[in-house]
Amino acid sequence: MRQASFLAAGIAAALVLAACGGDEDPVAESDEPDSTEAPGDDAAPEPADLRLWVNGGDTPQEMRDWLIATFEEQNPGSTLTIEEQSWEGLVERLTTSLASPTETPDVVEVGNTQAPTFTNVGAFLPLTDDQVAELGGSDLLPGFVEAGTANGQVSAVPLYAGSKVVFYRTDLFEDAGVEVPSTLDEFVEVAETLTEASDDSNFSGFYFPGADWRNAVAFIWDAGGDLAVQNGDTWEGALSTPESQAGLEVVQRLFAQSNAAKDGDEAESWIPWCNDEIGMLSAPGWAYGVIQDPDAGCPDTPAAENIGVFALPGQDGPAPVLLGGSNVAISAQSQHPELAYELLKLILSEEFQAQYAQNGLTPAKISLTSEMEDNETNAAAIAAAAEAKLTPAAENWASVEGARILEDFFIGIATGGDVVQLSADADAAITEALN
Amino acid sequence: MSAATPVSTSAVPTGGRPPITAARRRRRPMPYLLLIPATGFLVLALGYPLIRQVVMSFQEYGLAQQFGQPAEWTGIDNFSRLLSDSYFWLIVARSILFCLVNAGLTMVGGISLALLMTRISTPVRLVLQVALLLAWAMPHLASLTVWQWLFDTNYGVVNYALTNWLGLDFDNHAWLIQPLSFYFVATVVICWMSVPFVAFAVYAALTQVPGDVLEAGEIDGANGWQRFRLITVPLIKPVLLIVGLLQIIWDLKVFTQIFVLQDAGGITRDTHLIGTYVYQLGIKEGNFGLAAAASGIILVLTVGVGFHYVRLLVRQEDEL
Repeated sequence: MRQASFLAAGIAAALVLAACGGDEDPVAESDEPDSTEAPGDDAAPEPADLRLWVNGGDTPQEMRDWLIATFEEQNPGSTLTIEEQSWEGLVERLTTSLASPTETPDVVEVGNTQAPTFTNVGAFLPLTDDQVAELGGSDLLPGFVEAGTANGQVSAVPLYAGSKVVFYRTDLFEDAGVEVPSTLDEFVEVAETLTEASDDSNFSGFYFPGADWRNAVAFIWDAGGDLAVQNGDTWEGALSTPESQAGLEVVQRLFAQSNAAKDGDEAESWIPWCNDEIGMLSAPGWAYGVIQDPDAGCPDTPAAENIGVFALPGQDGPAPVLLGGSNVAISAQSQHPELAYELLKLILSEEFQAQYAQNGLTPAKISLTSEMEDNETNAAAIAAAAEAKLTPAAENWASVEGARILEDFFIGIATGGDVVQLSADADAAITEALN
Repeated sequence: MSAATPVSTSAVPTGGRPPITAARRRRRPMPYLLLIPATGFLVLALGYPLIRQVVMSFQEYGLAQQFGQPAEWTGIDNFSRLLSDSYFWLIVARSILFCLVNAGLTMVGGISLALLMTRISTPVRLVLQVALLLAWAMPHLASLTVWQWLFDTNYGVVNYALTNWLGLDFDNHAWLIQPLSFYFVATVVICWMSVPFVAFAVYAALTQVPGDVLEAGEIDGANGWQRFRLITVPLIKPVLLIVGLLQIIWDLKVFTQIFVLQDAGGITRDTHLIGTYVYQLGIKEGNFGLAAAASGIILVLTVGVGFHYVRLLVRQEDEL
């Protein structure tokens, strides 16, 4: 909800102001333990009040309650406050908050595509090799560790991963006489058939709003194209390559059968789903839980009872979808780095990570994947994650997202613009933003 | 000006009191002393950010600098980069045009409502005033959310009404996707939010227009339009000028409405105005130096646009 994101921003701002008011001397405080500590002492960090930012609804309330209770029990005298931030506008809030010693949260969740930017500019506290090993070492999801590494030093570790899977309406498939598609061509045909079979002008065989670049990129990757490629020291937009153009043809066909808003985004896609306006929806695994939720979703309706799930098919096996997920890191400006590290350890503990697995997300440690319940959704999620890819690993990638270049590009295609011209313009904009 | 003064549109003679000579004015320190508190507060509130902005606009200041790395001096690089960018000029032109259209429409709407209020019976006027006050006092984000829903592509009431009641084909019409249509929605929202202020201010001024002057004009054979143009407007001109100036300033730096609508739909690059563009450069892309330079250029432009107006205002006050 947009409103909620602004509320959150407002609350964050209020907290920031409140934090400014405190007139403690944090530097002197944190120096103290070092000087008085006897060698060999079981370095228990000084009690303090820690703040943790988590984003959106991906981490359920029970997990947050568990984290607070366990942390405060393990660190007597310390408290933990969890503040929920919205994904929308997160980069802006991190930019302004992380830089200030008085305003910064101690530990933050950051989207895996946003992690390289903040890691490279030194916003996070680098971890020692011993600490990384203690947190999980080679058991941590490698793509995420890479996203949180700059100059050979790890500072952001994985929190969880979750790639999108395709939910579909089993009853509508039956009515239209179509089967679950096993190739990309079949997928497009099924989508077109479903749209034709419906007499609702809001109905989409495959729900594909114009600004949904995170789904669209899978079709470009599947055709062998990419958003940007590295050429020596510089990055170049790659939407005009023949491979990318082939992928964009599929995107065009899918836009044509979708009646989602041509300039809308994929947030809150469960609303049209519950309105019986979607045949197939590509969404994170936890969307299933939202649809079954009495407040946000529509339990006990056909839309909630006839759900099947599969991994998006490519030309050959599952398509490379965008690898979603989050990293977690200690703010470089945190006044309680030792205590923050204790929190980080707890977040990456088996007990906490297993709860992500039980909630349909891929945990940060490979060894815990087996904790994921053996069901259709998780099977599809694991299949999708096997082929999943990350956005280009350019240091300035967050600028491309900030300027909404890809949103503008795909909205242009969705409204029937000239693909060649739009690609050339977007390539120029991406190249400029990345270098 | 006394009520009996014959109305003339040309300048009222400044005679009456002896002119104060420059020498005499200089000898009195009191006015300057009285200026100190106001100036002091302005310097306190705006001084540091302004100096910081000017410094930054000559630096390469990005995300890395925000997190502690030293900033590099780049001279006028930021400025030359912006001034040679045709997209920046497009946004400036777009913003000025948008500002003039919005300020103009708001003024016309506000004055019309104010005139209406002088004609209608008290109970009806009170209802109108309460409605205007509510529209004006409504927090922007709350009302913007409702506007967004009204113009929603799939579920919006506007599309529903146009399609089902008027029989037009507005089913799933995306209002924000064409820049002109986007600005139309933005204009509706902005005028809705700012007309009440103009209406109240002008209505207050209208109640001060002496009835006997209007009556005298009527006896002399002036029709309604003439009385409005030749008697009412000159009398309330100071209020009109001040309100107009405020509207121009507000509409030139409009941000919230555009930002929220861009979030709801539309093509961001084609719908930027000055405010949202600077925000994108600085906060979203992390080019703080470039954003600071852009703000500097815009400050100069705003002063340029406003200057003519302020001069008019000062001259008007001198005349009174």
